[in-house]
Amino acid sequence: MAIKQLSVLIPNRYGMLGKLTNIFYEEGIDIRAISVYDTTEYGILRTVVDDPDKAVEVLNRNGIVAMVSDIMAINPEDRRGSLNEIFHILADNDINVDYIYSFVVEKGGPQYFVLKVEDIPKTEAVLVKKGIEVVKEL
Amino acid sequence: MILEKDIAHRIWSDDERLSRDDFRRLQLERLQNTVQRVYDNVAFYRERFQEMGISPEDIKSLEDLQKLPFTVKDDFRSNYPFGLFSSDRRDIVRFHASSGTTGKPTVVGYTKKDMKTWKELIARVVTQAGVTQDDTAQISFGYGLFTGAFGLHQGLEKVGAAVIPMSSGNTEKQIMVMRDFQTTALISTPSYALHMAEVAKSLGIDPKKDIPLKWGLFGGEGSTEAMRNELEQTWGIFATENSGISGECLALQGMHINEDHFLPEIINPDTGEVLGPGEKGELVITTITKEALPIIRYRTKDITSLHYEKCQCGRTTVRMSKIQGRSDDMLILGGVNVFPSQIEEVLINAPGIGPHYQIRVYKKEYLDKIEVDVELKDATYLDSFAKLETLNQDIRGRLRTVLGIDAKVNLVQPASLPRFEGKAKRVIDERKVD
Repeated sequence: MAIKQLSVLIPNRYGMLGKLTNIFYEEGIDIRAISVYDTTEYGILRTVVDDPDKAVEVLNRNGIVAMVSDIMAINPEDRRGSLNEIFHILADNDINVDYIYSFVVEKGGPQYFVLKVEDIPKTEAVLVKKGIEVVKEL
Repeated sequence: MILEKDIAHRIWSDDERLSRDDFRRLQLERLQNTVQRVYDNVAFYRERFQEMGISPEDIKSLEDLQKLPFTVKDDFRSNYPFGLFSSDRRDIVRFHASSGTTGKPTVVGYTKKDMKTWKELIARVVTQAGVTQDDTAQISFGYGLFTGAFGLHQGLEKVGAAVIPMSSGNTEKQIMVMRDFQTTALISTPSYALHMAEVAKSLGIDPKKDIPLKWGLFGGEGSTEAMRNELEQTWGIFATENSGISGECLALQGMHINEDHFLPEIINPDTGEVLGPGEKGELVITTITKEALPIIRYRTKDITSLHYEKCQCGRTTVRMSKIQGRSDDMLILGGVNVFPSQIEEVLINAPGIGPHYQIRVYKKEYLDKIEVDVELKDATYLDSFAKLETLNQDIRGRLRTVLGIDAKVNLVQPASLPRFEGKAKRVIDERKVD
């Protein structure tokens, strides 16, 4: 099952992240994962929240456009070579990864990886077959 | 859809379709009276004429107008507040003034006769823009010293429309009134009308379905064809543009100037030489019926051209083409003349982004640089940074064809750029020293 991710345009200026998180905070939306790459003037902030539908509505109300897309998350084993194996499995099956980010939901808990791929069901099937844990909900 | 027969019926006065000969006869007579009036009453003009060796008797034909000196904005400042007035103070019944963002405001006075003329001219402007007695007109210009709100107010009342003197600001209330009073004509700046549509949508009101607006009469700032389309589509209206002295008719073939009251010329802004019909240059206006404040050859700084062929609407008054910029807000970028309106035209036609923008011009290592902020409207571009960059490249490519130099394009959040209730200020030129 796919997880909903929000993509938001974020200008590379002081206070922009705080403006966004403030909106979430005031509306009681919990951020589970967040990622921004370094860019020049603007970039894309990607986030997974507990209530994506409400988050989009809240953002729109504040004049911010957000795109919802499906991503998948995995929980790789915490040992040397585990990611190496996963990426080789993906490569062997012609699966291209657009981007990855990792996060921990609970202190001391497992480290999850978000993967953006074209064909989520296929990727899931390939990984599950190889014994990799696919996360159903964050 | 506007039918041809509808267009022809919307003429307020027969004086809007005089023959060219009749116009010229009337204009010469009125010009001679005006020149005599300022010579007798205004020291500023009398001294200027004397310096140039001109007396009112020298004006024997309309072409003799070219012998007269220009009036510029600075002349208003140095004669502030009433130095250019041609009437006794006790004959003045109304004052107005420009916003005066740079220095002293320009003060305008009206006699009783001037007020009557003003009403008549605005009645023509609103009639040619589609408004009739059946309309309810909401005026969203600020009431005050600025002429816009009161001018339109008087003219709209004269044609018998129901006027809502809303004034500017408090956009949510504007929209409530529009919906509840069933407003059919909106009078505002084009950028404020776009902003109102955005606010309406955010309130869950569909500007097209929930508000019976038919006509948009826009002024106070210039707008482009693309902006007109955007206004027409979001509001479901027929949009026209007007200024204090001119206005578009439903045939949309330029702005009609009421030549029985104003005498227009086009000059080369650098040399002052008068240009022919259809040639592009600076608009110069001489008032020929004003009592309180007649002005000889006022340089408007607006760049346009004049067209004398009879209009589809039946009027014979001269039409000026859409103002292509002001000779003073023209940007010179690496030697290329660029008007912000050209940039606007590009942006409004580009996909994925909204109509609002902000331009910053600066120098880097002695070279002119331009940076344009635009609002991303379409969230699907956020799918990947590559898509955003493709959009950015597309906009840059479009701008390059107009600007001749590469512009940096910044995508920003919708509703993050400033909105303007009056004149929009979208260009920040950091190269200017003053």
